Amino acid sequence: MNICVENLSFRYPNGVLALQGVSLEIASGEQVAIIGQNGAGKTTLVKHLNGLLQPTEGRVLIGDWDTRKYSVAKLAQRVGYVFQNPDEQLFTKTVAEEIAFGPRNLGYSKERLQTLVEDALQLTQLQAMRSANPYDLSPTWRKMVAIASILAMDTPILIFDEPTTGQDAASVGRLATIIAELKQRGKTVITITHDIDFCAENFGRVIVMGNGQVLLDGSAKEVLGQEAILAQTFVDPPQITRLGLRLGLTEVVCTPQEFLDVFETQCAA
Amino acid sequence: MHERLSFYVKRESPLHQLNPLTKLTLIFGLILPAFLVPFYWTPHLLLVLVVFPLAFLGKVQGEYFNAATRLILPAAGFLFVMQALFIPGGEVVLARVWFLTLTQESLLYAFANAVRIFVMISSFTLFMLTTHPSELMSDLTRRGLPGQFAYVIIATLQIIPQMQAKANTIIAAQRSRGLDTESSFSRRIRALVPLVGPLVFGSLVEVEERAIAIEARGFTSRLPKTSLREISDRPLDKGLRWLLLAMMLASLLSRIWFS
Amino acid sequence: MPVVRLQQVTYYYPLTETPALQDINLEIEEGEFIAVIGPNGAGKSTLCYTLAGFIPHFYKGELQGTVEVDGRSTQDSNLSDWVLRVGLVFQNPFNQISGAKYTVFEEVAFGLENRGVPRNEMIQRVEEVLEMTGIADLAARSPYSLSGGQQQRVALASILVMQPKVLVLDEPTSQMDPIGTREVFGVIRKMAQKGMTVVMAEHKMEWIAQFADRVIALWEGKIFLEGKPQQVLTDERLAEKGFGVSRYTTTARLALSRGLWQAERPLPVTLEEAVSGFAAIRNGQSKGKP
Repeated sequence: MNICVENLSFRYPNGVLALQGVSLEIASGEQVAIIGQNGAGKTTLVKHLNGLLQPTEGRVLIGDWDTRKYSVAKLAQRVGYVFQNPDEQLFTKTVAEEIAFGPRNLGYSKERLQTLVEDALQLTQLQAMRSANPYDLSPTWRKMVAIASILAMDTPILIFDEPTTGQDAASVGRLATIIAELKQRGKTVITITHDIDFCAENFGRVIVMGNGQVLLDGSAKEVLGQEAILAQTFVDPPQITRLGLRLGLTEVVCTPQEFLDVFETQCAA
Repeated sequence: MHERLSFYVKRESPLHQLNPLTKLTLIFGLILPAFLVPFYWTPHLLLVLVVFPLAFLGKVQGEYFNAATRLILPAAGFLFVMQALFIPGGEVVLARVWFLTLTQESLLYAFANAVRIFVMISSFTLFMLTTHPSELMSDLTRRGLPGQFAYVIIATLQIIPQMQAKANTIIAAQRSRGLDTESSFSRRIRALVPLVGPLVFGSLVEVEERAIAIEARGFTSRLPKTSLREISDRPLDKGLRWLLLAMMLASLLSRIWFS
Repeated sequence: MPVVRLQQVTYYYPLTETPALQDINLEIEEGEFIAVIGPNGAGKSTLCYTLAGFIPHFYKGELQGTVEVDGRSTQDSNLSDWVLRVGLVFQNPFNQISGAKYTVFEEVAFGLENRGVPRNEMIQRVEEVLEMTGIADLAARSPYSLSGGQQQRVALASILVMQPKVLVLDEPTSQMDPIGTREVFGVIRKMAQKGMTVVMAEHKMEWIAQFADRVIALWEGKIFLEGKPQQVLTDERLAEKGFGVSRYTTTARLALSRGLWQAERPLPVTLEEAVSGFAAIRNGQSKGKP
């Protein structure tokens, strides 16, 4: 299911112009990271994808649906949105019930509901905690419950807003596994993140936003090596990319393996 | 965004310079006579000769008359209509509408009551427009109000816009999970649980962290507190307070004497 | 004479049976900068709360052993006096705003009002600390109108103004964007240079390597490794236990397994160390060529 954002502008009621003329297409199954400083318009943009915000100008298409014509509850069939703070959505007595809330709202059959909940529990490694009260879990695991509750909605498109904030290395690793699995299944994943290293290692496409506009949009390698433009939005290139740049490698590298491969061939030359 | 968290309007005026307690006394110095003095035109005279000029004295006439027309007038007007129509009694019948009778007496009574309410809300409005909440609380704490009490009042005033923002985020998050909050009434009622739950839980986490944060700054210290804000309490303030107190007493006595 | 001394400290949160901290022995010298690392749930925050006196005064439960700062133990002090010994700044900047004040200046002065500091001294100390934390230009703004990085610097200023002997920071940048992170670490760097005694729980290895004199790795409530940053942060056992590891270390270790990085060369933690290491390898190889 393709996403098509056409000349999108958005002005908040207080007069702030948060997006100006954003156009982009995201093909089915793409893994896209959106980066940029706070206030750049990242969250405003993704809130248009499931109808939480309506364009002041331009339009957004999710497949053949124009978001202006569908309610948020309806668009939830196509777009799952994991909010930044899990505490702003958890309300049930058990983890499993919390996960079932979304798919139940979508009216799935009992069998499908059960399969989806099991699958989400397994993807997030929450099986052992299925009967626990979400409020008794640590914030790290509460985040996983919030993610599982959206995974279980089985939408073709998933949005993550700052999924790594406050997470430790193990939890970030779990997230990377989930995103890889979603890629395998052909889902579209759009992630807002400040964690540029996480972005470099898990996303094929990177969009850099600043002042309500798209500054850069391309493959991770094309985008993350552009130190000067990234600096405009106060983002440093990823650690490994910086290492490559400092050592004068002719190719932009994003992961340790890539770095070593390029480093070795260039040393040998 | 959240720069304005109170009704306070910062201006240089004689009213702003008054001590908060003096202004608090002033509120009651207006309300008590308006309600108690048996002379019929008292509230009307107070409104025109004292409240309106005070708004100009405090240089908040713009804000005050804005609030007066949009908020106070409708409230007082509603009260006037209700009382005029529904208070029984009176000899001089002016009109009959359906089963209601409008008499001259009830009309006059309702008019005076509406003006009394007008005076009351106006005094509070003027007070809030010209008194910074921090100043009021610092002053009352200095006079012996427990610090915790003052904190709860101020923190509650400040937390309301934050709670609203939080509630909006929760609604957005649950709608994104397919929760229908827009269609029928019964669906909306059922949608309350997923909205209220996170609001309460989130607030509990916040309260715990905020308790740690203020404790890390010695909030429960038993030492006598000092105040960054210097709150003037001039002889003029003391004199005014005595005068106002005398007026309140006089209006009380007049009530007892003439009835 | 160490300024902080923990002896055989074990702590259980109320109604729990596994200790959140177990047999912690720790001495910190005046002016030392200690970084505490560990996965979530390893006891980092608990250690911070213990040092700051919130355990046992705010969180009940069972505390064994002694926690001493400047020769006095937490158990023998009350919390509102302890804040002059140990100041605490934690993750969420928003929840650290008192809610009782309308401007940044007033917010920072709040602690001094509570301690009964005379007004003239109060103003002078607030001005100094606003200058130091780089938020003097925000003095008249409402704390609620600021960005995360600015709010966190207000929280830091509000604690520093109390002039505590020891500053405890519990993942101060975990909820910041890159600019916020840089702003907050900028202030922490200044504190370190001034010789303040600091204990900081943190995940960001590159920053730790820049500031810390000593690193303590916590695992399941116990001190699992302790030593110089380079030595602890590059220890093989960290990755196995799910600790965060600097990508420079990961890269060098991978190079080691490919026979590219010599075993005797210390593994890098920071960009600079990695650059010089790999540059040396390249130079060595080009010299070795015929």
